[in-house]
Amino acid sequence: MKDVVIAGYARSPFTFANKGELTKVRPDDLGAAVVGELVRRSGIDPAAIEDLICGCAFPEGEQGFNMARMLVFLAGLPQSITGATVNRYCGSSMQAIHWAAGAVATNAGDAFLAVGVESMTRIPMMGFNPMPNPALAARYSEAYASMGVTAENVAKKYGISRAEQEEIAVASHAKAAKARLEGKREAETVAIDAPTGRVSQDGCIRPETTAESLSGLKPAFDAAGSVTAGTSSPLTDGASAVLVTSLDYAKANGLTPLARIRSVAVSGCAPELMGLGPIGATRKALARAGLSMKDIDIVEINEAFAAQAIACIRDLDIDMGKINLDGGAIALGHPLGATGARITGKAAALLKREGKQFAVATQCIGGGQGIATVLEAI
Amino acid sequence: MTSQANSEIKKVAVIGAGVMGAGIAAHIANAGIPVLLLDIVPAGAENRNVVAEGAVSKLLKADPAPFMHKRAAKLVQTGNIEDDLAKVADCDWIIEAVIERLDVKQDLYAKLEAVRRPGSAVSTNTSTIPLEKLVEGLPESFRRDFLVTHFFNPPRYMRLLEIVAGPDSDAATVAAVERFADYRLGKTIVRCKDTPGFIANRIGTYWIQTAFNHAVDLGLTVEEADAIGGRPMGIPKTGIFGLVDLVGLDLMPHIAKSMLATLPEGDAYRAAHREHPVATKLIAEGYTGRKGKGGFYRLNRVNGERIKESVDLVTGEFRVSRKADLESLGVSRKLPALVAHPDRGGRFARAVLLDVLSYAASLIPAIADDVVAVDDAMKLGYAWSYGPFELIDRLGPGWLATALKEEGRPVPAIVDKLGQGTFYRVEDGRLQAFGLDGAYHDVVRPDGVLLLADVKRRAKPLAKNASASLWDIGDGVVCLEFHSKMNAIDSDIMGLIRKALRIVEGGYKALVVYNEASNFSVGANIGLALFAANIAAWGEIESMVEEGQATYQALRYAPFPVVGAPSGMALGGGCEILLHCDAVQAHAETYMGLVEVGVGVVPGWGGCVEMLRRWQTNPKAPKGVMPAVGKAFEMISTATVAKSAFEAKDWLLLQEADGVTMNRDRLLADAKAKALALAEGYQAPAKPVFRMPGPAGKVALDMAVSGFAATGKATPHDVVVCGRLAEALTGGDADPTEEVKVDRLLEGERAAFMALVRTPGTLARIETMLTTGKPLRN
Repeated sequence: MKDVVIAGYARSPFTFANKGELTKVRPDDLGAAVVGELVRRSGIDPAAIEDLICGCAFPEGEQGFNMARMLVFLAGLPQSITGATVNRYCGSSMQAIHWAAGAVATNAGDAFLAVGVESMTRIPMMGFNPMPNPALAARYSEAYASMGVTAENVAKKYGISRAEQEEIAVASHAKAAKARLEGKREAETVAIDAPTGRVSQDGCIRPETTAESLSGLKPAFDAAGSVTAGTSSPLTDGASAVLVTSLDYAKANGLTPLARIRSVAVSGCAPELMGLGPIGATRKALARAGLSMKDIDIVEINEAFAAQAIACIRDLDIDMGKINLDGGAIALGHPLGATGARITGKAAALLKREGKQFAVATQCIGGGQGIATVLEAI
Repeated sequence: MTSQANSEIKKVAVIGAGVMGAGIAAHIANAGIPVLLLDIVPAGAENRNVVAEGAVSKLLKADPAPFMHKRAAKLVQTGNIEDDLAKVADCDWIIEAVIERLDVKQDLYAKLEAVRRPGSAVSTNTSTIPLEKLVEGLPESFRRDFLVTHFFNPPRYMRLLEIVAGPDSDAATVAAVERFADYRLGKTIVRCKDTPGFIANRIGTYWIQTAFNHAVDLGLTVEEADAIGGRPMGIPKTGIFGLVDLVGLDLMPHIAKSMLATLPEGDAYRAAHREHPVATKLIAEGYTGRKGKGGFYRLNRVNGERIKESVDLVTGEFRVSRKADLESLGVSRKLPALVAHPDRGGRFARAVLLDVLSYAASLIPAIADDVVAVDDAMKLGYAWSYGPFELIDRLGPGWLATALKEEGRPVPAIVDKLGQGTFYRVEDGRLQAFGLDGAYHDVVRPDGVLLLADVKRRAKPLAKNASASLWDIGDGVVCLEFHSKMNAIDSDIMGLIRKALRIVEGGYKALVVYNEASNFSVGANIGLALFAANIAAWGEIESMVEEGQATYQALRYAPFPVVGAPSGMALGGGCEILLHCDAVQAHAETYMGLVEVGVGVVPGWGGCVEMLRRWQTNPKAPKGVMPAVGKAFEMISTATVAKSAFEAKDWLLLQEADGVTMNRDRLLADAKAKALALAEGYQAPAKPVFRMPGPAGKVALDMAVSGFAATGKATPHDVVVCGRLAEALTGGDADPTEEVKVDRLLEGERAAFMALVRTPGTLARIETMLTTGKPLRN
């Protein structure tokens, strides 16, 4: 089996859906801009790329037509590169990385683009034609549980107070704001030309967020609950991409790999507690890598909701100092299909920047799933 | 828009972004006209446009909304006088609405004269400074293009525009402004003479002063004065003190000062003018009215509760408000009885009316040549139901002259001439008004205006019952008029619609559904439904629903065009009739909505089905069976009411081709023209077929509703109502692969209605709405 590396990572700015600066940008154009720039920055010969795998949670409308293949054309890449669109909801683009890694490992190609795209402005959550199975809904309504309700369920089950959730939200904004101030995200960000002008900065971060300002918000999903808009990731537009290659290919072709993929895992859990997904997935991935949490230096855990992130951090016993160094999804935003490639690419980049040994990227997924990737310095 | 003259005005500038200037700019934007809004650069301001920009953001938040659609705000370009004045060169009309100071205005005019295009109209919104003084010393080229255009607050909603042309004003310039204000801004123009306060404020200011005086002298409370001085006289329920709170107490001394500075010697206002210590005290304590912490009335927070309090006119202290309890209020529906009542309420009414009506009559011809102008000004500028001369007629022939003589007061010349007659009469079907020359003259409508009121004076209805009438409005067009209480739709109206179908088919070209009440229709008569439900007459209710559906369907597929022409509220069943017209010509101030869930039912006369049809055939909607359902569900489940005709288009309550008329008085003519245009080669529409999501779609909607229930946005009975609505809108057990006929969807709509009307939650909602006028959130 070949060693697999992450040989490049880039993303668009993440901005608020419906009111941010990317609302007028088609998601496929957004994805193509990021892909094109990643290929250019990485220095890879485009003709050497085998396949483009694109994660998207609602692959319809402007995100339809097997968007992965369209990204090849839109980005002006050789037509020899094929395209496959994958949907594992929020885990879609991390899944794209996993499939690319599996393909490299089994010698099914040397270089893959793993991409994630989601315009939550232009394609509504649940899509344009939500039509759940009435029989399943009647027998097992949890299968369709709304995400906010699952966050409330987790908060209740783990006894996570509103104040604890707000604390992590404040920290997320503070870390994100600090990283922006220090220019720490410039290397990964691709400026996007929108009809309204060039967009080069993340748009969801609110540095002025305080525990006090959050405490005034009303519960967003349950009048008697603890989860608010301030402790949830916002609806976001964005795209991200990761270049996955074999270590041999990267070395031979002068690429600069960020990290080696050590192990991967997915894991199912109760859909009404979908926020706990990272627990099972991370445990599996760590076991496959022969590591334990205390070996891990860097953790990128998606903050879909503060409540579920806290539950996972607690259950997996993660040191808070290792988490989401440049801010998490509560501050940066969570464009569903694009988040997996962001946190995996980010974890790889952080390993290199911080000079550490091991990293984990993990996230929860609607329907009751988790996904995790263990990375190792090269 | 159909009814616009070839207007030369394509861009407007408003200088001065205060309450009036900004409101005028917003209303010009409502007409779809780009407008430049300029104000000063405050000393030391970093953002030089801060005043004008601040005004626009205030406009966007104001309630009632100055913009008819938030999109209109984009037509307002902001700037400042120092940097941007040269931009007025592109404007065809420049409106000055700066502070009421002669030197400031004249200085601005001189600057404008240097940059504006010759021939562009320049007008002032002054309410107090005579035109003569404003143009003093200015070149002839400026005087020729200058006039007074006096708007009323809020400019979007008040229909009066007082116009004063000076001796040097160019007739064509004035005509261009008038035409624009009439067709595009929807204003009724009243030509005034160059006298202080023009017409409405001249009489209004005196009215407020004299009413305040009499209230104090006769020992009335503010509640009593407003109860007598409001509705019984056909004046908005704010009365006098409530109105002053609305306008701003602090403005009153300024208005008084400027009136005293300009009114002729011997004017009755001079004698009436008095400073009331209670008002002075309130202003000194910062009680400037509703814009501040209160005025004669305030809302006081006591233990977290908001208590309405009123000022005691004697002590000047606040106390808990008391509902006026006067014997005279019992007879207040009849004005002659009210003024004859011996209690303080009756004496107050008599004293105020004697003063105001004799004052108004004494100002003919000083402020206007005819009584119609004065009546129009008070009705459209102060929202009185009757003008002073109409009030005189309502008090009875000879009453005013006799009462004045009894008190040894002079009788105004025109009242004296009138003798035992009335100011208005109908002669050969024509409305006429009494003139100073002692003769009656036809009341002449502006060119192109067609009023049903005039039609009704001339002719007998083609058909009539207690709730509706049919009128021949000429050129082969029939008008269906509702006149039930609040124009609620009942079986009489349904009956007359069916009769109309026969009559029109039998010899006319088209039908227009129109009336001249303040509201087109507030919906179905739910009182009848409640009565039937209380005696468990379910069959009656079902046939009422069926009859309504069948009647509206017959209207839709009639072999001739039907045009709806609403103004004001068109809710529930009143909205549904418009949805079944071939086309609608709406007054811009039309408030449409399917609000049935407020009383716990679903639209049952085809409203659900028609909204589905509109969204399913909308080329902008995404493909698939759910988007149309989602849009209809969103609007109906939240009882959304569009706040203007333009907003109604967003919801497809009005369609792309439907017209909007800005001027209320031109609505019927526009609707008739639309009907006649459609009548050329008219073919009834084909019956639509639908693709419906069926149970899967209902699950999706139910999931959304349970989310709203969890956050408390949906009440328990909302969940019940929304469940039935979802079933009706998704097509019941339909399968997306099969076509569904309209009749099956109508059946589903009816079933949902019938299921809901049997629930206690819905009956409680209907009962609450009937008794309180407010929705019950159970």
